[in-house]
Amino acid sequence: MNKPDYLAPQTLAEALDALGKHPHGVQLIAGGTDLVPQMRSKMVQPELLVDLRLLGLEGIEMTGDGIRIGARATHTDILESDLLAEHCPALVESAADIAGPPIRNRGTVGGNLVNASPAADLAPPLLVYDAQAVLASSRGERSVPLEEFFTGPGGTVLSDDEILTEVYIPPVAPNSSSKFIKLGKRKAMAVAVVSVAARLTLDDSGSISQARVALGSVAPIPMRALKAEAVLEGHPPSAELFAEAGRVASSESSPIDDIRASGEYRQKMVAVLTRRALAAAWGRLGGEV
Amino acid sequence: MAEINLSFSVNDQKMEVSTEPTRTLLSVLRDDLKLKGAKEACGQGDCGACVVLLDGEAVNSCLVLAVQAEGSQVITVEGLASKGQLHPLQQNFIENWAFQCGYCTAGMLISSYALLMDNPNPNPEEIRAAIAGNLCRCTGYHEIIEAVGKTAADLQQPVLTSES
Ligand SMILES: Cc1cc2nc3c(=O)[nH]c(=O)nc-3n(C[C@H](O)[C@H](O)[C@H](O)COP(=O)(O)OP(=O)(O)OC[C@H]3O[C@@H](n4cnc5c(N)ncnc54)[C@H](O)[C@@H]3O)c2cc1C
Ligand code: FES
Ligand code: FES
Repeated sequence: MNKPDYLAPQTLAEALDALGKHPHGVQLIAGGTDLVPQMRSKMVQPELLVDLRLLGLEGIEMTGDGIRIGARATHTDILESDLLAEHCPALVESAADIAGPPIRNRGTVGGNLVNASPAADLAPPLLVYDAQAVLASSRGERSVPLEEFFTGPGGTVLSDDEILTEVYIPPVAPNSSSKFIKLGKRKAMAVAVVSVAARLTLDDSGSISQARVALGSVAPIPMRALKAEAVLEGHPPSAELFAEAGRVASSESSPIDDIRASGEYRQKMVAVLTRRALAAAWGRLGGEV
Repeated sequence: MAEINLSFSVNDQKMEVSTEPTRTLLSVLRDDLKLKGAKEACGQGDCGACVVLLDGEAVNSCLVLAVQAEGSQVITVEGLASKGQLHPLQQNFIENWAFQCGYCTAGMLISSYALLMDNPNPNPEEIRAAIAGNLCRCTGYHEIIEAVGKTAADLQQPVLTSES
């Protein structure tokens, strides 16, 4: 590895200041589970490492009716949060499916999103909750809807002088539930072949007033399946409707062949897993297909 | 870059080390502090041979930069035995044939130890989940799971704490 400088600022202002002063070659580090292997293989060769570990930013709390998840909350923190278990079960399910305990104890939500792997497991559930990434810089703060956050594999809208401080989940409608399903090569320590998150909100008549479907590992970025969502909205839940939404989601995806699976297989699995995730989300609202 | 002075506790002993920021905790433990229990096999988080406790949590020490452990408490497999007495987990690993080559053992012990701190009475499914990040190419895991289950039964209560 090259020999970067290292800084562990005590405050966000200090960290932002360091970023502002070193426009190039600065790398933030949280859990290091993505970054350290990238540094060891020389994919990334920073001149300065800025460690976020003393900044706090790890709380998960209710604010107003929404939920704020600090960027340094680990997968274990998400997994153990009663608040998220109650309001965002699909997010908790995705954290449970990440790697194994030692990685979950270090890896953070901020690192997962900023590393921007198409297979980032927290991304599909956060997309179905309409989450926003809160980005701070010495110029101020901005919120970016997660659907506009990713720009390509490894790419995000984050500027060089910005830090992701938290993920904000707006109030989750009461008559709403969600489900995350990950298909990997094995139960633990596996990158997703396909992952699907789904969320359904029902109106008083029992029809779907709002639907969200998000897919991982089947496009350059974690993506919303907007056409599948449109198929669902305004209709009462049914097995046929969920199957149709699965077919549409499949046609929206654009997976590639890689060492884990062929694109063709992935596309077929999108249909199956979308249908299952929708049925499970509906099941959590008392429905049955 | 100048080296950074690092101060942290390892197996309840205060340590001062001077290190470059890119060195991993694993490398400092093994090469500077000569604690050779934790192993490097994959070096990228996949195998768990390097697992140690960092402030009470099992982590892959090959993915932690040593400088990130400033002010922290690290427990390695060398810290499990006390006063020449093996920890019951270690004793049960021996008695249950829970290792052959031994390469995974330090990590397996620490992951199991972390489990028992949180959950003194785990079922086999919970034991499997706790060692999901630790690969063993020899035993087939069965004996390891039994050894951990047996330790939990042996210890019953009182509960393990991070100080024990
Ligand atoms: C063996 C192994 C298995 C894995 N399995 C999975 C898996 O199953 N599913 C999955 O989704 N991921 C998996 N990962 C990837 C990784 O663990 C996660 O993406 C993790 O959440 C990354 O978080 P981190 O804190 O470790 O990030 P780091 O490595 O610290 O950082 C990653 C990137 O994000 C940037 N960054 C971090 N925090 C911030 C912030 N607050 N603001 C701005 N930039 C920031 C860093 O500069 C860096 O570029 C695995 C990794 C390993 C090594
Ligand atoms: S050496 Fe650290 S996980 Fe394999
Ligand atoms: S005993 Fe050889 S790898 Fe586990």
